[in-house]
Amino acid sequence: MRNVWLICRRELASFFFSPIAYVVLGAWTFLMGIFFSGSFFNYVLISMQLARNPQAAAQMNITPTSAVLEPVFASVSVVLLFLTPILTMRLFSEEKKLGTIELLLTYPLRDGHLLAGKFLSVLLLYAMMLAITLVYPAIVSLHATVEWPVVAAAYLGMLLLGSAFLSVGVMASSWTSNQIIAATAAFMILLMSFIMDFLAASAGPVLAAVLRHLSIGLHLRNAIRGIIDTRDVIFLLNVNILCLFLAMRSLEYYRWRA
Amino acid sequence: MAVPAPQAGGHGNVIGRNAEGRHGPLIRVEGLTKHYGNVPAIQDISFRVEKGEILGFLGPNGAGKSTTMRILTGFMPPTSGSAWVAEMDVAEHPLEVKRHIGYMPESNPLYLDMTVTAYLHHMAALKGVSGRARGEAVARVVDSCGLGNVASRIIGHLSKGYRQRVGLAQSLVNDPPVLILDEPTSGLDPAQIIEIRNLIRSLKGSRTIVLSTHILPEVSMVCDRVVVIHQGRVAAEGPIDALATGVQKEDILRVSAIGSAEALRAKLAAVPGVRQVSSLGASNGEVHFEVRAEQGREVRPDLAQAVPAASGRLTELRRERLTLEDLFVRIVSGEHKVEPKVDKESARA
Repeated sequence: MRNVWLICRRELASFFFSPIAYVVLGAWTFLMGIFFSGSFFNYVLISMQLARNPQAAAQMNITPTSAVLEPVFASVSVVLLFLTPILTMRLFSEEKKLGTIELLLTYPLRDGHLLAGKFLSVLLLYAMMLAITLVYPAIVSLHATVEWPVVAAAYLGMLLLGSAFLSVGVMASSWTSNQIIAATAAFMILLMSFIMDFLAASAGPVLAAVLRHLSIGLHLRNAIRGIIDTRDVIFLLNVNILCLFLAMRSLEYYRWRA
Repeated sequence: MAVPAPQAGGHGNVIGRNAEGRHGPLIRVEGLTKHYGNVPAIQDISFRVEKGEILGFLGPNGAGKSTTMRILTGFMPPTSGSAWVAEMDVAEHPLEVKRHIGYMPESNPLYLDMTVTAYLHHMAALKGVSGRARGEAVARVVDSCGLGNVASRIIGHLSKGYRQRVGLAQSLVNDPPVLILDEPTSGLDPAQIIEIRNLIRSLKGSRTIVLSTHILPEVSMVCDRVVVIHQGRVAAEGPIDALATGVQKEDILRVSAIGSAEALRAKLAAVPGVRQVSSLGASNGEVHFEVRAEQGREVRPDLAQAVPAASGRLTELRRERLTLEDLFVRIVSGEHKVEPKVDKESARA
């Protein structure tokens, strides 16, 4: 475990030494801020209109959480599609380019620890990104009642989704010494997974169900409404396990071929 | 794969930590073969390194030096054959072996975004040096590798010579009994090469060092013994002097004298034991000859007397020693095959 933390700490230091962490954090807060303010002002407008029309208000089942926060949380999957490949691209690719991976692989260090340390570093960075967005429920709670259990479920969902996205990126990074290729490969895989949903529209019922299940972004849908569905949790964890397993194999293959 | 019993007798040295009380070579490589796809990089490489020895690993670029070293360090597995470090099979106890080894790859990879001290601390921690011992270890290698005045600078801003020292410091930071250095002086300027060489020589005695190079003088200056690798095979092995005499079939002497070239040549050729006299031309009134004589036969006194006999005056008479360059070229060009000293039986074990 000590080794995992050592690797993780160096990666985090490296993120903040290079501009990557600042670019990603900046883009994240900017985009999420736009989504939140849009959603927030939209809700203000709707609630003013509904205030003049109590009859319609009674028919509409909206709460501050579902009207303001849900769209913000739902947009996370699209933002992550673009940002996670940038976060993960350098993890192994840079070490391969510099040749430092050769040194690391001759250290008394298990491949699994190396991988876990690298993955943990981006996961912590992502957790930091999520933590920043906690200001949005906090702002809403100043003006209205926030359903905190729903928010908690949404954050768990976003953490799992992000973790699955990051594991795809880690895997792609373990394939190549070129960071651009690593980012592109991760982006393509994630995009393909998003497109599954569109393909499902024109497929037969059985195939459509399979395609929808493989569509990674859809697995956030329940969580942001406050529903923790074990199918979602298991799917996202499986993506993690599969990708990290493949990354591990890729490291082993690298040893053989070098 | 059975681990052969440690050899009794031989060198009485106690080998490195964690293997106290056992005897034998600190590094043993037997029948190592590695294929990249269908291309064989090394074939049936075997050698041993005793404790405290500096072994020179010599060969042209692409001969398989780096591949052998990478297998020794546990970076990659061999296709067949095995390597032992401190009586431990690299393939079976990779983590334990890696604790015994300090390695500096050919490209000397470093984290360019870290300061020298932070880098060495990080690498020491990964090697399992913890707590106060780590601070001491880092201070020790910073001192011994002459990094004192750049300790707080970022590695990416350092010159190549300093980076090389950081690489060496990294390999030394956990005080390993075995050091594996892949072309530690490549790409340095002459002054830096001398510094790094001195540094390596200063490590002698306490550590077993395997050093690869294609710079020949380096080997004669630093190493006790050489293994010459050519086209993935061991072409020759042994102390440099022994290799030189093994390759040399005849003694070569240089004779310079003032006098008639024709008369001198005739008299020199008539000396018993001389096989061939060839003229190397004349300069400043002197004529120069290369004399090839039977190996081991002392012909110098007779040659010296042959010059006045031809009415000449001797200005120079010396025995040419086969240089490492000659040796290398001869081994590599296949002019002379030196039987590698390999224990074939144990290689098959």
